[in-house]
Amino acid sequence: MKVLKSLAFTSFVSALVLCVGQAAPAAPIKVGIVLPLTGSEAAFGEIERNSFKMAADEINAKGGVKGNKLELLFEDDTGKPEVGRSAVEKLISRDKVPVLTGGYSSSCTIAATAVAQQFKVPFLVTTGSADEITEKGYEYVFRLNPPASEYPAAVTTFLTDVAKPKTAVVLYENTSFGQSSSKSFEKILQTINVKLLLKEGYNANSVDFKPLLTRVKSLNPDLVYMVSYVMDAALLMRQSKELDINPALFVGGGAGFTLPEFYENAKDAADYVYSATLWSESVPYPGARAYYDKYKAAYKQATEYHGAEAYASLFVLADALKRAKSLSPKDIRDALAATDMKTAFGPVKFVSYGKKTQQNKLPTFMVQWQKATLNTVWPRNVATDPYIYPVPKWSARK
Amino acid sequence: MQVFLQVAVAGVLKGGLYALIGIGMTLIMGVMGIINLAHGQLMMVSMYVSYVLFSSLGIDPYLTLLVSMPALFLLGVVIQKFLLNPLMKAETILPENQVLMTVGIAMVLTEIIRFIFKSDYRSVTTSYSNATFFVGGISFSMALVIAFFIALAFTGAMFLFLVKTDLGRSIRATAQDKDAAVLMGVNTGRITVITFGLGAGLVAAAGTLLAPVFYIFPDIGGPFTAKAFIITILGGLGSTVGAIFGGVTLGLAESLGATYLGMDYENIIGMTIFVLVLLFLPGGFKRLTKV
Repeated sequence: MKVLKSLAFTSFVSALVLCVGQAAPAAPIKVGIVLPLTGSEAAFGEIERNSFKMAADEINAKGGVKGNKLELLFEDDTGKPEVGRSAVEKLISRDKVPVLTGGYSSSCTIAATAVAQQFKVPFLVTTGSADEITEKGYEYVFRLNPPASEYPAAVTTFLTDVAKPKTAVVLYENTSFGQSSSKSFEKILQTINVKLLLKEGYNANSVDFKPLLTRVKSLNPDLVYMVSYVMDAALLMRQSKELDINPALFVGGGAGFTLPEFYENAKDAADYVYSATLWSESVPYPGARAYYDKYKAAYKQATEYHGAEAYASLFVLADALKRAKSLSPKDIRDALAATDMKTAFGPVKFVSYGKKTQQNKLPTFMVQWQKATLNTVWPRNVATDPYIYPVPKWSARK
Repeated sequence: MQVFLQVAVAGVLKGGLYALIGIGMTLIMGVMGIINLAHGQLMMVSMYVSYVLFSSLGIDPYLTLLVSMPALFLLGVVIQKFLLNPLMKAETILPENQVLMTVGIAMVLTEIIRFIFKSDYRSVTTSYSNATFFVGGISFSMALVIAFFIALAFTGAMFLFLVKTDLGRSIRATAQDKDAAVLMGVNTGRITVITFGLGAGLVAAAGTLLAPVFYIFPDIGGPFTAKAFIITILGGLGSTVGAIFGGVTLGLAESLGATYLGMDYENIIGMTIFVLVLLFLPGGFKRLTKV
């Protein structure tokens, strides 16, 4: 009897504690974020982390989500898939986060999203862009940014309307992102009748691109299209200048070519280089310019599309958390699936098309480095500056 | 033809740097009879020395040679005196525990640098990092040409030092026959310390010369240790002239291979040459040149 009584008492007390626990409004909602904060991709990770923090401050200043503040838990994937994998495992099993976001390199994102799907925790992919990420039918994985194959959409119209090249060379880093992008660009070249003279991958951390670039020079293409991260992008341009390679235009397939670090490392060799991009501060989305100005004021540095993706990602999550019936991963997932909102990065709605599921669809843009600044030059309706084409030969500069 | 010449030029210029890396390795190998598996990591440390001087004080990377070489010489002396020499006396099952020690040193150096600088990529970009000049349509990178001639100068100086000076003769004597050298009154303990210091100083020069053309991160040492090893085997243990041959051969083979076979094969080519030389020319180029 005594035992029963004490049992009843303890259960009463614990029920009370539970009630109080649930009623307490101040418990923050944890959001797990996986980014490369050290290593070769750290430059991207930093821009994204700063933008996530900015977004969190804004959301929390307005009272957070249903009175709960958002708490960001960052984990470093160091740019290695196996580390990204264990980072997500740690966030889910130790920190018990109900929702995940981030994911920079495609290789890391593939590993990270697989874990999220396995544990049934929703993962909103911010940047990882290899097509296959949203082609696996994972119902817990959403992607904000367009897949790699759609990056060159604006580049394609520029090529058909303005540049009209006849021959092209494609160079790519031998990674998921590089392979995915170069394969799709090859198909684009076929459809617009540009002859592909050479398509070649190179290993990460290569020192010397001269052998490869010498071959490019001898082929004398109209267009050189490169899919690279930052340091290799800078080395490719520096060595192209050294070898005096003069195609009608150099185009980067996004990623490293839009970062300030690219210009810092390549210096004047970066001038006139075009790049595909997913966003620029002049795009006609509400909040885009405000985000850019605020970032510049806070961090004394320009931001670009990766930052905007991160900034928008957190607003998408906050919106889903507000609509979710509870904070269980399942309910958050259902709320995310019903997302239909406008962000600084563009309208967000997760749709299925082709082989892809829960993928956001967005138009892309083209930028050009003009005297140390990155200007939006294409398409015409969002261009801030006229494009410079044809690009002057190396010997004719200065 | 234009392509071939351009690739050959790039290969030879790169080979000059490789030679400098190889000479340090071959000296240590010849005198001490051990493989220094921390060689690339010593180079990495010197790159960071140059980077710090360049980024914080704005010193021209080539002038930082005056700091990085003595600094690495001292580091080499300390390593030999306090970490490697004591092992020579110890009786253990493995006679090669000095080699194992160098593996440990390599790891410690890498992790210390990672601890201080993180694994972020850094670069030493100067006004002439991008500069080039043209001879008959063939482009020459200014930074690599400077590096090549400095490397040649160091190699020449090293050769004269070994042939003409007393200290150099003592080093060669120790390399040829340690016991005989001791009988002739050479303090071989001191010689090994100086040799390791010299080897480290030479690879420091290579690191500093490479810094403006490449970028720097803590794990850069490993691949260069492997390259140094290949060069030394190609050239023959302890042979300065052999190391130059080995360096230029490797540089050329990598460049030509990357051009005509594909850039993915760059590393495979070096290793294939390594295996072929071991099989068909054990002892390396030294067997042909006898220097």
